[in-house]
Amino acid sequence: MSDAAIAVRPVRAAPRGGGLTGLLLVFLPVGLLAWLILYPILRAVIRTLVVQTGTGPALSLETYRFFFTDGYSLANLWLTLWVTALCAVLLLAVCLPIALYLRFAKSRIAALVQGLALFPMFVPSVILAYALIRTLGPNGAVDLVLNAAGLPKIASPYLTPAGPVIGLVWDNIPLTVLMLVAGLGNVSDNAVEAARDAGARPFALLRHIILPQIGNALLVVLSFTVLSIFSAFTLPYVLGPASPEMMGPFMQRTFTDVQDPRMAITQAVITFAICAGFGAFYVRSIARNREASR
Amino acid sequence: MATLSLSAIGKSFGGADVIPGLDLDIAEGELVCLLGPSGSGKSTLLRMAGGFEMPDRGTVRIGGADVTRMPPEKRPTAMVFQSHALWSHMSVAGNIAFGLKLRRLPRAEIRSRVEAVLELVGLAGYGARKVWQLSGGQQQRVAIARALVLEPQILLLDEPFASLDQHLRERMREELRDIQQRLGITTLFVTHGQDEALALADRIVVLKDGRIEQADAPDVLYRAPATRFVAGFIGTMNFLACDIRRGRADHPLFAVPLALPDGPAELAIRPEALRLTPDAEGPVRVRRVTDYGSHVLADLETDDGERLKAHCPPEARPAPGQRMRLSARQLSAYQQGRRAEASPAHLREGALHA
Repeated sequence: MSDAAIAVRPVRAAPRGGGLTGLLLVFLPVGLLAWLILYPILRAVIRTLVVQTGTGPALSLETYRFFFTDGYSLANLWLTLWVTALCAVLLLAVCLPIALYLRFAKSRIAALVQGLALFPMFVPSVILAYALIRTLGPNGAVDLVLNAAGLPKIASPYLTPAGPVIGLVWDNIPLTVLMLVAGLGNVSDNAVEAARDAGARPFALLRHIILPQIGNALLVVLSFTVLSIFSAFTLPYVLGPASPEMMGPFMQRTFTDVQDPRMAITQAVITFAICAGFGAFYVRSIARNREASR
Repeated sequence: MATLSLSAIGKSFGGADVIPGLDLDIAEGELVCLLGPSGSGKSTLLRMAGGFEMPDRGTVRIGGADVTRMPPEKRPTAMVFQSHALWSHMSVAGNIAFGLKLRRLPRAEIRSRVEAVLELVGLAGYGARKVWQLSGGQQQRVAIARALVLEPQILLLDEPFASLDQHLRERMREELRDIQQRLGITTLFVTHGQDEALALADRIVVLKDGRIEQADAPDVLYRAPATRFVAGFIGTMNFLACDIRRGRADHPLFAVPLALPDGPAELAIRPEALRLTPDAEGPVRVRRVTDYGSHVLADLETDDGERLKAHCPPEARPAPGQRMRLSARQLSAYQQGRRAEASPAHLREGALHA
């Protein structure tokens, strides 16, 4: 074959249908996502908005109007928001020092601290709830010790808003610590040493160098914590007060005890909408992370 | 400006002595390079001077004051890191002004000092930029500016140009030398680049296994290395094993008279001290020739399989396989790893022919 023949040979085009193969590959997971998540959400929203009347289905905001005018429902929502916000603050207050210690400590004790911090990850929520009842509940271990020492009993957090707060903070420590340690991994030793070299003492170092550099990690932690705590059920159900109650137990009770599924679904949609807001916040944080790492 | 004095300083990690015990005094305004292979302890020494590592023994004195137990934030030192260690969430000016803000200086003074130091490192007008918008060389200049703006008594540099390309590295080290001389700041510089150390330093300290092998001016270190390690570490050196018998080396190429005790020794010759002359009966054969532009490096082999390297001018490029005669303009001898005080008389007068 001559050189000329080689030169005029057409370049073979990329096989068609590459895009279709890609779509087929993602079809199954996307289909499952649509069937198991998107469809129930859509169906739930429609069920709360559409009522059957004598003349057929009609659009109605009746359940939402009831929720936002009912003092008890609002008290439950506020309690849930309050517990979530308090837990988020407490988790950061507890976990940030632990994460800072794990990131910068060079002693062997760090491994022990890490083991302790991650321990709650391996304890199921229901076991944790009953352990807390046996420890902090009326006539629990703490009371027995205080009694033996001749001291008055503690005001038990069991069945008060403080109960789920303690349980949820304990339960969320491992994930929060792990996410913070991962975020702190982006702060190089040299960046810290350079700040110390410039004269920064520990507090200035934390405020001016470390916190700004883990800003995105903090946002991710906050989003995850809020999502996890806002939709919690087991710990608020077992440890929390009967009234007001957090949204998880409230939904369950409306559905089974009050037997008002439409109202329970409305509560779920409102809870979902608030969580979706934090979810959007989380996605935005991730997008910013990626943008910053380019 | 101040002196830096490290006395009997030592550091161990996990029970292993990284620096067993070392003395080093640096005069006011002097630029000293710490040079050595990886693991020789040069960065540990620098970090102890900066307060980032606490010595297990010995003292660190700056301007006569004992700062051994003083943390970095209180020492009159400033460090430039290999990775630049700039804070990406701050602007160029923010990075430089950080230390000044911590010292609660008036805003106007901070601004004027930042502008002055940016001017000094050739980055005037770059203050508002984010550090990630700068090139590697510009980032390194910001790191130097950040260190200089604090007017430290001692400037510490930990392989600051290691991440830069060759041309930029050469330009940066000239600029650094210029700034250092203008400010007269006492400087300790860690590098494992010999060319960098030779070009920059007033004095080079060669470290091996946490011990000082030699501390001398660059020309002394290159031309009269005190130990076999330094001779081999700085530049390229041909070592020829031989025995000294009755005041004469028994090497077949260079049977030179040496006033040394009988015993094993090594003759050391720099490639540029060798001259090649084509000779069909010559004792060496050219194996390979590498052209470096300014000179040609000939890889030679004796009939006994001993290898040597020699520099030739490009116009006298030998051909591979060609046999050559050798002559040496300068030669030294090492016994038991130390430079022997031997000076073959006839080498002073002319070349030694082989």
